[in-house]
Amino acid sequence: MSKLKKRAGLALAATTALSVVLSGCGGNNNEASGSGSGSGSEKPVELIWYTIGTPQKDVDTVMAEVSKYTQEKINATIKMKMIDWGDYQQKMQVLVASGEPMDILFTSAGGFDYVQNARKGAFLELDELLDKYGQGIKDTIDPGFLSGSKVDGHNYGIPANKELPQLEVWRFNKNLVDKYQLDTSGIRTLESLEPLLKTIKEKEPEVTPFGMDKNFVPYVPYDYLVTNMPMAVKLDGSDMKVVNILETDEMKSALETMHKYYMAGYIAPEAATTGSTSDLTTSGKWLLDRAQTQPLAENLWSASYGYPVTTTPASDAIITNTSVQGSIMAISANSEHPEKAMEFLNLLNTDPVLRNMVDSGIEGTHYEKIDDLHIKNLDASQNYNMPSYSLGNNMLLYLNEGDPDDKWDQFKKFNAEGKASPILGFNFDSTKVATEMTAVQNVKEQFWASLMTGTVDPATFLPKAIDEFKKAGMDKVIAEAQSQLDAWVAANK
Amino acid sequence: MAGSFFRRFNRNKVLLLMVLPGAVWFLCFSYLPLVGTIAAFKEYRFSRHGFWYSLVHSKNVGWDNFKFLFNTDAAFTITRNTLLYNIAFIFLGLVFSVGLAILLSELVNKKLAKLYQTSMFLPYFLSWVIVGYFAFSFLSMDRGLLNHILGYFGVDSMQWYSDPTYWPYILIFVYLWKSIGYSSVVYLASILGIDRSLYEAAMIDGASKLQQVRNITLPLLKPIIIIMTLLAVGKIFYADFGLFYNVPRDSGTLYSVTNVIDTYVYRGLKTTGEIGMSTAAGLYQSVVGFVLVMVSNYVVRRIDKDSALF
Repeated sequence: MSKLKKRAGLALAATTALSVVLSGCGGNNNEASGSGSGSGSEKPVELIWYTIGTPQKDVDTVMAEVSKYTQEKINATIKMKMIDWGDYQQKMQVLVASGEPMDILFTSAGGFDYVQNARKGAFLELDELLDKYGQGIKDTIDPGFLSGSKVDGHNYGIPANKELPQLEVWRFNKNLVDKYQLDTSGIRTLESLEPLLKTIKEKEPEVTPFGMDKNFVPYVPYDYLVTNMPMAVKLDGSDMKVVNILETDEMKSALETMHKYYMAGYIAPEAATTGSTSDLTTSGKWLLDRAQTQPLAENLWSASYGYPVTTTPASDAIITNTSVQGSIMAISANSEHPEKAMEFLNLLNTDPVLRNMVDSGIEGTHYEKIDDLHIKNLDASQNYNMPSYSLGNNMLLYLNEGDPDDKWDQFKKFNAEGKASPILGFNFDSTKVATEMTAVQNVKEQFWASLMTGTVDPATFLPKAIDEFKKAGMDKVIAEAQSQLDAWVAANK
Repeated sequence: MAGSFFRRFNRNKVLLLMVLPGAVWFLCFSYLPLVGTIAAFKEYRFSRHGFWYSLVHSKNVGWDNFKFLFNTDAAFTITRNTLLYNIAFIFLGLVFSVGLAILLSELVNKKLAKLYQTSMFLPYFLSWVIVGYFAFSFLSMDRGLLNHILGYFGVDSMQWYSDPTYWPYILIFVYLWKSIGYSSVVYLASILGIDRSLYEAAMIDGASKLQQVRNITLPLLKPIIIIMTLLAVGKIFYADFGLFYNVPRDSGTLYSVTNVIDTYVYRGLKTTGEIGMSTAAGLYQSVVGFVLVMVSNYVVRRIDKDSALF
């Protein structure tokens, strides 16, 4: 009898403790308000919006202003939560996995991976909502974006309307080009850079002729199935064969050239472990590097470095999955108000007043208008300095001082000229080969940067890397990718 | 009797209250998350009904999530690296921190002793990212201090970040530099707790300093040494991610000697973000650690019952 009671008492104490603890660390989830859409006298809905970027001081102030506007238009208010660049991927992983309340969230090929998370069920499928509430989006955004960002045939997010194709360029430090009267007109291939690099190496020993960090990959005319992984398909679409990029002749000869440049001292000795080249661009001690461009990018670069930068193309303008998925806003699978969220996204992508408020803040506080198109930042703008690319349709934005009036027309022209990659819209599903992918990823990390920056000799390291990839299960991954690609090609014929 | 539990509870109220914060902490962060290990056997997919619903309703995949840890060539390398480094850390860390604690305790000038202690303590508070940059300022190919010194003696510059030869020593050195200041505090505290009259008696008997250390300090330190070592053994399958990732600057050519379980899991899963697989890796590490602690505690108990943890 007494024993039983003792046990009961213990159990009781344990349960009490547990429940105290549970409520202590669990937080309260039962505040969910009534859902449903509608307008008029109904209580406005609060939409929670997670986006990328360094948290800004004035976010709440601006969002209060934004909410006044959206409440009037669609009876919704906006609560924006910013997560810093470096933390976004990881924090969102946790927030989404733990079911944190959210309605709208930023995703892209690079940060909180769009395709993977769409497949894992993090985002709401938008096909129906887009038809119902997103007509404005369909009319405004380049159709290439919406079709290119489909995952397994469905839309899971609204891409930001901006530059559509990916165009690689060689960037030149114009000061040095002018000083030594270098001829950049015939430059396009990696090999064609040699005379320029040589001149600068001889005449300016303090300068790093070829600037690059550890993420550098020589351009070859292939499109990668997964960003930063070696599986790729030829861009001319001639064979639709998935290959290991390291086994292609193009990459092999590019790596030989890179190693030649490295040995000649054109490349910084620590390139394979260097995270950023901002010290070079700040000091101006570089001759050339490679970058992705967009219309008027030279002006941006020249302005931010404080000296002129010129470019020549290094590739064709290609529309790829990565370029299409550069910035997407998705609706969370656990959103309480998916219809309202869609209405908001539609408004954000079509309404210049709202879009510019989100981007530049409050007129008179953060910026002032110079004329109908152009604005000037005021001092307070440093408390609301937002990344434009992640916040929806770019082509509604006011122009900065000095931008040409036809800036967005140039973008439209640039977009129209892009060629679609043969695998645009095909997204490899690696779930079946997840084990092999982990091993392949590790092999890639091991060899990639040192090969790509020319640090090691491809004659010995390339066969070694290919062999390691094979041992890690590369063939199985490629076979799986090939069968998925074949099925996709058949379905899209 | 019936109320005996409550009577005992009442009597120890104050003590129990003092235990409460710690107990709550463990419950929150160690026991409750145990339920989450189910994820190791699931192909985790999000659903709109929150974490628990998603967890329970995700597809069961048995042991599939563990495969990536074992079925490649890398499995041997990472397990070997993790184990050997940790063994070196435990052993050398013990020797150096106990040695340091004894030296500090013997210093007559207490102000100087505090100064030494504090300056050796300081690196413990630096993050690995910063320590990584310290190391880089020594090992950089073109601007590193070490290559300058080598050049002074007419030796060619070394490509430190692409030559694995010296990295086992570099990593062990950096680890010891960062950690012994902290771990020696524990030993120093227990040395200071030793009854001084033991030393006085020894001195009267004519024991030298070395004899005092060997016959008084070390035997009295033995229990704490065993406890600290047992605790470290439990973590032998966990590598210090910051050390192995930041100090070698994630240089691929060094992986043969710097890739450990934690970095392997990070590199393999950072793009796919499969929760199931990372949980599997964590579970594997804990289970092996648990077994090792039980075994070594058993061994200790067989040899010296009083020193065992439990």
